[in-house]
Amino acid sequence: MTEPHEGSRQAYRITPDTPVGFKLIGVKKKAAIQLMGSRLWGRFNPNHWDPVYADQTGLKAPIQTGEMSSAYIAEMCVNYFGADFFRGARFACKYVASTYANEIITTHGVVTAKTPKDDGYRFAVEVWAENEDGEKKSVGTVEVDVGTSRPPLALEPIKEVAP
Amino acid sequence: MSGEPRTDGLRPMTEVQVSQTREFVQSLEQESLPYWDMVEVGDVLSRELRITPELVILYADAVEDYNPWYEGWRMNTWHIPGESPFGPAIVPPMLVSHFVLSVQFDHTKPFAIGSIHTFHDSEILEPIRVGALVRIEAKAIDKFEKRGRRYVRHVVKVVDVETGRLCFHETRDILSR
Repeated sequence: MTEPHEGSRQAYRITPDTPVGFKLIGVKKKAAIQLMGSRLWGRFNPNHWDPVYADQTGLKAPIQTGEMSSAYIAEMCVNYFGADFFRGARFACKYVASTYANEIITTHGVVTAKTPKDDGYRFAVEVWAENEDGEKKSVGTVEVDVGTSRPPLALEPIKEVAP
Repeated sequence: MSGEPRTDGLRPMTEVQVSQTREFVQSLEQESLPYWDMVEVGDVLSRELRITPELVILYADAVEDYNPWYEGWRMNTWHIPGESPFGPAIVPPMLVSHFVLSVQFDHTKPFAIGSIHTFHDSEILEPIRVGALVRIEAKAIDKFEKRGRRYVRHVVKVVDVETGRLCFHETRDILSR
């Protein structure tokens, strides 16, 4: 298996030796109104990008879609679990508070358990996303198998996108 | 925000852009039932989605995730097979979850603005190739009230149409207005 750009990514990888209590360094993003209102994300609902409409519906500012927070947390998990995050992983998440335009969101994670599985472990990680004031916006858990023996998975490229 | 909310309160705009924006917002206003009333337990909705390289780029750029594993499209070269630990480029792990919205809300009916996605419990079972055709199926399994709020729960399956393999499974809740 090839792991492109592994130089920096490998330095942060969780391995079977990673202890319970290990803290993941997350990713930091700004809830930028232009991205919140992009067509693929929130354009269909002006609560995600229009201050006037948001005010009319009782919001103090446009709110980011919850899935953007989930994408941030998933990015952190791919940084730490690499390919393992794409095979048999679980990611449960509650959106407990709204993320408002212009807030700076940082993701966090702490390994809370590692359960032996085959010849590796199933790691459990508490994850969350919070603003600059430490107010939690999304909270959840992630479970990923690390170091377990399973047959390699090699995908065939889709013909339509091959050059 | 402080004071009266303004269309250009969070980004610079000329009066032409403000006017176009207000027109667009008005065009979105349409009569729709609350989501709670649109869904019956047992309802199943299903759609196919081709996850094109461009779609992946649009998704990933907006969340500023520049992992090269997701690149089946690159400026100047355009379509490329890409490279990931599984061979070709793959789709970001939560991308299909975002598109469930376009399945569980019946797209042939007016969109029920005001509903909020509150929870997901997702299983990322297998990587999905960039360019894959997937079938997203959402089944309503519960409607419940909690602390005076009304929720609709779905279970979701995402299958790679070409291989028939189940790639993603999710339980998710929508808070209805």
